[in-house]
Amino acid sequence: MRIEVDWTRCDGHGLCGLLLPENLENDGDGFPLVRRREVADADLRHARRAVAACPALALRLEP
Amino acid sequence: MSATALGTARLLAGVTRGGRADLVTHRHRHGPQRYRSLDELAADAARVLLLGRGGAAFPVATKLAAVPAGRATQVLVNGSESEPASRKDRTLMTLTPHLVLDGALAVARALGTRHVTVAVHDAGSHASLRAALEERSRQEPLPERVDVCRTAGRFVSGEVRALLRGLDGGPPVPPSRRTLPTESGLHGAPTFASNAETFAQLALLVAQGTTEFGAVGSPEEPGTTLLTLLGDVRTRGVVEVPTDLPLDALLPGEGGPVLVGGYHGRWVRDVHDLRGLGVDRPGLRAAGLPLNAGVVARLPREVCALAEVTAVTRWLAAQSAGQCGPCLYGTAALAHDVGELLHGRAAPAVEARLLGLVGRGACAHPDGTAAFVSTALDALGEDLALHRRHGGCGRPYAGVLPLGPLGQVGQVGPGGAR
Repeated sequence: MRIEVDWTRCDGHGLCGLLLPENLENDGDGFPLVRRREVADADLRHARRAVAACPALALRLEP
Repeated sequence: MSATALGTARLLAGVTRGGRADLVTHRHRHGPQRYRSLDELAADAARVLLLGRGGAAFPVATKLAAVPAGRATQVLVNGSESEPASRKDRTLMTLTPHLVLDGALAVARALGTRHVTVAVHDAGSHASLRAALEERSRQEPLPERVDVCRTAGRFVSGEVRALLRGLDGGPPVPPSRRTLPTESGLHGAPTFASNAETFAQLALLVAQGTTEFGAVGSPEEPGTTLLTLLGDVRTRGVVEVPTDLPLDALLPGEGGPVLVGGYHGRWVRDVHDLRGLGVDRPGLRAAGLPLNAGVVARLPREVCALAEVTAVTRWLAAQSAGQCGPCLYGTAALAHDVGELLHGRAAPAVEARLLGLVGRGACAHPDGTAAFVSTALDALGEDLALHRRHGGCGRPYAGVLPLGPLGQVGQVGPGGAR
């Protein structure tokens, strides 16, 4: 699975960087920097939690 | 409106003196409207390696093969030339509108549809195309329905997905999801969308056949291409050149830094960095200098290059649609930093800001802006050092790189007196 950011929705709340540090990093303004697009199987739980936690519904997991 | 052909005039045949070709003149020059089946058209486009002339340089044959034929399919001519430095599409549509229409109608007939839309945003192209359709309705009425629409003039609104959204009544900004116009385009129908010059090239291809079409130009991309040349160049304005013309032939003598590919393009230090390159898109892309919409500019040595870059960077920042945070804030911060460098102050975060724009938006605007600025900072190393030491280079800002009507975003000021 890949993690995708919908940049038109993202408001820079910054939760995703905290919940999925394996793939995402906070850029300082709250917007994520995608360090790795592919989500490892072991991190899928974290990834789903990050997707669910995004207040702007800007994060999604895609096959 | 001036236009020049260096070598073979094809698209601009007979119109380089500035007179618009009406239908009678056009037919006299290019012959009757001709058609091909979809398979023939795609095969011919593949044989001459025709690439889209808007910016992405996508193979036309691949796009033709990807659109399902049928009555619901739409043909969209993207003539909404939104980059203030580029004038080639409006020149083409103003001087020889029937060539563009011939191409659009050949594609529509091949795809078995009657729906053709031409999107423009300048008044001259709009008037010329409307007049062309009037001439056709009197002299050679057609079953196709051709709509000419005026669209928003923002830079990002010319991108095809933003254009489609605007034409369907939405905000003329790029959508967040990666949709393909060939699957879901105008009114949700499969759409063959391409740049105005692409359609004119298709009209030539259908009229001439592959052998004559490929008789000039580079083997990588046969034929001619339209460029808009600015600044210290051999011929300013729109030129038609064979694709095997050496790029440095357009930039005689020494001179300042060169911008290839317009405001989402890339800078090189001077003409020596272009030795051995033609103007064909595949060759330039391989050299890391995509031609995009065909804008090539060289700054005269007498002007402050950094001020020119600052002005365009501010314009680019103002052109952000404001949808994506990293682009909205990132381009503004980048413009601020480039302004600091202009005034000889430090901008320690500039590298991080450039990286922060890459791949972080719904469209190519942040990436293109980052490419423009990062290559400029590389190419202008000596200028940057002068500005750092003296607070300026002593040369004036001349506005060689034009900014659109939305470009009045504050005075750049002179390069600074010592």
